[in-house]
Amino acid sequence: MFKDLNPILHSQLRLAVISILISVKEAEFTYLREKTDATAGNLSVQINKLKEAGYIDVTKSFKDNYPQTICKITPQGIQAFEEYVRDLQAYLNIKK
Amino acid sequence: MEQEKEMTGHESLELIASMIQRTRRDYLDSGLSALLWGSVISFCSLAAYLNQVAWHIPRFDYIWFLTFAAVIPQVIIAVREAKARKIKTYEEGYMGGIWISFAIAVFLLNFIFARYNSEAQAAIYLMLYGVPTFATGYSRRFAPMLIGGIACWGFAVLSLYVGYPNTLLCITGGALIAWFIPGLILRRRYLNAKKTHV
Repeated sequence: MFKDLNPILHSQLRLAVISILISVKEAEFTYLREKTDATAGNLSVQINKLKEAGYIDVTKSFKDNYPQTICKITPQGIQAFEEYVRDLQAYLNIKK
Repeated sequence: MEQEKEMTGHESLELIASMIQRTRRDYLDSGLSALLWGSVISFCSLAAYLNQVAWHIPRFDYIWFLTFAAVIPQVIIAVREAKARKIKTYEEGYMGGIWISFAIAVFLLNFIFARYNSEAQAAIYLMLYGVPTFATGYSRRFAPMLIGGIACWGFAVLSLYVGYPNTLLCITGGALIAWFIPGLILRRRYLNAKKTHV
């Protein structure tokens, strides 16, 4: 039997966000919105879910008088992502 | 992108790969810094060489002060790029450390050579030029800079045998191969990438 896929990560937008954050040190909210083609509201909700799960850190500040939100993956997020990919590979191997 | 779309295993893997790929395209170097330093160093060394063999203008060595002046556009480029950047990578932190320590080492060498003149000046500068260039090429798997770093070390050895003012031509060659040519390649890649996904 394969393990159930992590429901927090097994969602299109949240997985897209975590996949971007795994490859960089940090990313601005506007960058995540641009890359995922999501609406600001929708992205905000999904980012909050990832934050509540402890997978990402969100820092709010100001840049040139504009609000700036920076997202960064946490060690817990990295571990969850790695486990998710392992589970996914196991799941795909069993299905073959 | 929908928020809770049910995905198959293959779709998940494809999404992960495509997001990582898209992000990777965004950490392309603009090439401006490499172009700036490649042009300034090769121009100064070539002009100094021509002055030694043909022009004979007194106090022409002051042309090297252009390298200090080039710090101003470098700072402007760095600030602009940092402002425009929406992501930070781990790599840029390491690379920044290497290039800043290189700049400090070159700055100190100027003082050392002003006090203790050495016939191996060009060799020492070139050996130093090779270090951050090779490190950048190695970490980014960017062959033109790997070759550039090795070329600097090759020119460093060559400069020990050709004698002054030919050593200046070794510096010109090193700066062109290590920075100017890779800078042109990086610039072209950067502009092409910008054009393909505005």
